[in-house]
Parts: sequence; C-alpha cells; structure tokens
Amino acid sequence: MRDRLLKYFLVFPAIFVVASTAFWPLFQSFYLSFREWKLNRARESRALWEYEYDGLENIAYLFDNYLLALEDDLFWNSVRVTSIFTVTSVLVSVGLALGLALLLAPGGKFRLTVRTLLILPFAMSPALIGVSWRFMFQPDFGLFKAFFDVLIPPLADVDWLGDANLAMIALVGSEVWHWTPYLTLVFIGGLATVPQDAQEAAMIDGANSWRIFCDVTLPSILPVLAVGIVLKTIFSLKMFDQVYMLTNGGPGNATQTLAHYIYFNGFKYYNMGYASAVSYLLVIPMFGLTWLYMKLVFLKR
Amino acid sequence: MVKGSKNKFLDFLQILVILLTAVFILVPIYWIVSGAFKQQVDIFQLKLLFTPTLENFEIIFRSPYNLFDKLVNSTLVALSTILIAIPIATMAAYSFSRFRMKGERLMFVTILATQFVPAVVIVLPFFILFRDLGILDTRLALVLVNLSLVMPFAIWMIKGFIDSIPLDSEEAALVDGSSRFQVILNVTLPMALPGVITAGIFCFILAWNEFLFALIITTNKAVTLPVGLSLFHAEEGVLWHLISAAGIMIMLPMFVLATIIQKHFVQGMTMGAVR
Repeated sequence: MRDRLLKYFLVFPAIFVVASTAFWPLFQSFYLSFREWKLNRARESRALWEYEYDGLENIAYLFDNYLLALEDDLFWNSVRVTSIFTVTSVLVSVGLALGLALLLAPGGKFRLTVRTLLILPFAMSPALIGVSWRFMFQPDFGLFKAFFDVLIPPLADVDWLGDANLAMIALVGSEVWHWTPYLTLVFIGGLATVPQDAQEAAMIDGANSWRIFCDVTLPSILPVLAVGIVLKTIFSLKMFDQVYMLTNGGPGNATQTLAHYIYFNGFKYYNMGYASAVSYLLVIPMFGLTWLYMKLVFLKR
Repeated sequence: MVKGSKNKFLDFLQILVILLTAVFILVPIYWIVSGAFKQQVDIFQLKLLFTPTLENFEIIFRSPYNLFDKLVNSTLVALSTILIAIPIATMAAYSFSRFRMKGERLMFVTILATQFVPAVVIVLPFFILFRDLGILDTRLALVLVNLSLVMPFAIWMIKGFIDSIPLDSEEAALVDGSSRFQVILNVTLPMALPGVITAGIFCFILAWNEFLFALIITTNKAVTLPVGLSLFHAEEGVLWHLISAAGIMIMLPMFVLATIIQKHFVQGMTMGAVR
C-alpha cells in the first residue's frame, strides 16, 4: 500500500529536473519577450507594460518586441531561409532514405555490412560536420574542387560558400548527409513490419513490383514515414550548429536560419527581450508539430 | 533468358547504388581522417599520396590549443550529465512503467515533448541566470542545461526496457515478503541494467555532441571539444590539419559508442515509433 506514496516519490525528481530545465526557461523567455533589455547597456530589464501611453497604444507597445520582429526584413529573411531549408532538406533526405531503405531491406552479408555504416553520420557532432563540410567546400584545395577537377571541370572553380544559392545547397547537402543514413535505418525498421504474406500474395497475383510497393508496402510503412518526416521537420526548424560552422549565415544573410538570427540578436547584440520574442515565434509552430508528432507516435498504443 | 539478364542488370544496378551510398557516407569521414595525418603543405596540395604524420596530434595538445583541457571538459560534462540524469530517469521510468497515476499519460507525454523545445529558447534565460550567479563558463552550468537535453530521451528509453521485464519475478519477490524498494533494488534493477547502460551511452553521445549551449555558456575554462573547433585559426587562415586531428578526437569515440548500441540508437531518437 505504500506504493501509493512511492510512485510519486519516484517521479518527483524527474518532474523537478524537467520543470526547472525546460519549463522554467520556457516561461521565463515568454516573460522576457515583453521586456526591453539590452544586456550590454542596462543592468536591469524594463517591462514594456510600465511605459505610460495613451489608451490603445499601450497594448501595441506591450507587443513591441514582436512588432519589431514583424517589421524587420532580416527576421522575414530568416523565416524564408528556414522554410526553404526545411522543405528541401526534408524532401531530399526522406526521399533518398526511403529509396535506400528499399534497396537495403533485403538481408545478405553485403547489405548488412553497408547498414552498419549508416549509424556513423548521425553519431557525429553537427558542429564537426559543419566544419568538415566547410573544409570540403574550400575553393582552392577542398574535396569538391578536386572532385570536379576530374569529373566536371566547369564546376571546379565554383566558390560554393560565396554564392547565396550554392551556399544553401551546401548547407542542405551537409544536412542530407547527416540525416539520410539515420532515416534509412528508421525506414528499414518500418519495412520489417510489412506483412510478408500480403507481399507474396500480390506477387502470385502477378502484380509488378511498383504495384506491390504502392498497394502493400507504402500503406504499411506510412506511419513510420510520417514519424520520420515530422521528426526531420522539427529538427530542421531548429537548425543552428551547421549554419554556424559551415556558412555562419552567409554570404550576407543568405543562409541565416531563425535559430541563428535569434542567437545573433541575443548573444551578439545582447538584445534579450527581442531575442526572446523571436524565439517564441519559433516555439509556436513547434508546439503544433510536437503535438502532431506525439499523436503519430502514440497513435497505435 | 532475356528476363534473367534483365534481373542480373537490375541486381548490378542495385549493388552499384549501394556502393555509391557507402562512398557518400565514408568520403567526408575519410576526408577528416586523412587531413588529420597530413602536414599542412599536403593539405594545400590536395595530394592523394602523402607521408602520414602524427605531428598534428602533438600540436593540438600543446599551447595555445591545449585540447586536453577541452577533452577533459567534454568528458566530465557528458559524464556528470548522465550520472545525474540516469538515476533520476530510472526512478521515474520505473514509476511510469509499473504504477498507474493520476494524469500519468499527460505527465509522460509532456516530459517527452520537452525534447522539441528549441535550444536557443532554453539557453536565453539560463544565460542571464548564470551570469547573475557568476557561474558562466563553468562545467556545472553546462551540466545543468544539458539535463534538459537528455532527460526526455533517458526516461523514454529506460521505460521501454523496464516494460519488457516480466512482472512475475517482481511479484514473486513481493509475495516472499520483500518491500517494494528491495524488489526494485534487487530484482528489477539488475535485470534493467543493460537497458539503463544503453540509455546512458545514448545520452552521453547527445551531451558530447551538444554545441549551442556550450557555445553560449562557455568562453574559456569550460570550453568543450565541439566549441574548441573554432580555435584553430592563424594569420595564414584556417588550420585544417589541426581541425581534422581534433575532429578525430570528437567523432571516433562516438562512432564506437553508437555502433555498440546501434539498434537502440535508432529507437531512442524516434521514441520507439520503429521496432
């Protein structure tokens, strides 16, 4: 009967840690987003609601940090960059991973050996991936220059990280390298659950492999596919490490993601109130996606 | 006959694509590894054949780079993080697995959902707090923030392992007159130990590779390996040979750890959506 107490005693420390390391900062950021605080100038923050304005203006000024963001071209630029990055990296990595999973799903020594490689990129520090890809894109002695020198000479002298569009391709490339092998492993796991007899029955009925894929395989791995897509989307929206190390948002602001924009405003300009407000603009879509992800993961339980 | 040769061609094509994939995965890794053993001159000349040298590994451990300090920081921070997180997570996981509580599901899902809070949101208030407390640039500060990163994964993974332990053995011990506490300590924990260690390794990898928290909270004394990568600049530019040598120190131990827990690594990250 003492179990009744014990069970709460056992979860309490975990609740305490999660509350103080995740929920407290979440609430605190929200609170800060309604204050004016440049860390390099003022010792204390100033609440926006303490300013005296006339009537309706009061409300507008309360949301000053948010309104400033909505008026800032660089904010919208980072929204655009994050969207492009997210859509392309999700499409490319999920698409490639699905194809590779189909190729690698049948057993055999050769395929199993290659499968053991798939874990490597995901175990690598994203910061290191960013640095090493910058090294590979180095215009004078990088790997890509060497590669194109031999195969496609016109591309050899391209300065990848110096051009807005090419820098984005480089960034997406490094992220595809990071995530595709991992997603492949996830999808291989999903393919293992495809009912064998349904596949065989379709084969006996004379269906070609494309039909089998559409009618049998795809429907049964759809839940896993959805989990992979939402997970990758969430991580893409938060993208920071490789941006910082590979392009540092450049050239200009061509690859500045939202997380990088927040970092810059918070920790280079020390504009804490503003950075908090922008980070909340990132948190809101994240709430929706997280809810969707949880639905997908816990649906079958 | 025609069909047979067509199949053979398809098989060949498949093997070719799989080989290309392997190359695609390995080349960036090889690029770092080979760079680490090259002299600076060989880096500039893009040589395929070069005389390997261990010099870079000596240089990075000397002043001004002192990579050993960063190695110690990375190890201590990741180790302390899991030493705090794993016992706490194991307790909670046992409770979630074995007892029914009011609002249990909501509590559980909410804890898991915190893994998606963007790191920048978490680090902003912590930066201000640590600055007021005067503990910026300490390993302690980094460990505290890292807890937010590993807790949801640790609880999720360990709960899965405890779920798979049959209730019979616990019940038998309870009938024999052991207290619940004794049962947890003497029956459940030994059986869950491999799972707890697996979760610990997984969280160690997360903490080891963590970048944004360390970038913001540490400046000098508590700098970890990934942040330390930015140190290798000189007047003549970026010192790629040294970055590569440091890169090996960062990635190689994680390759080993991830390979050991391969299957669980995939499940841990997707929260077991994949079996």
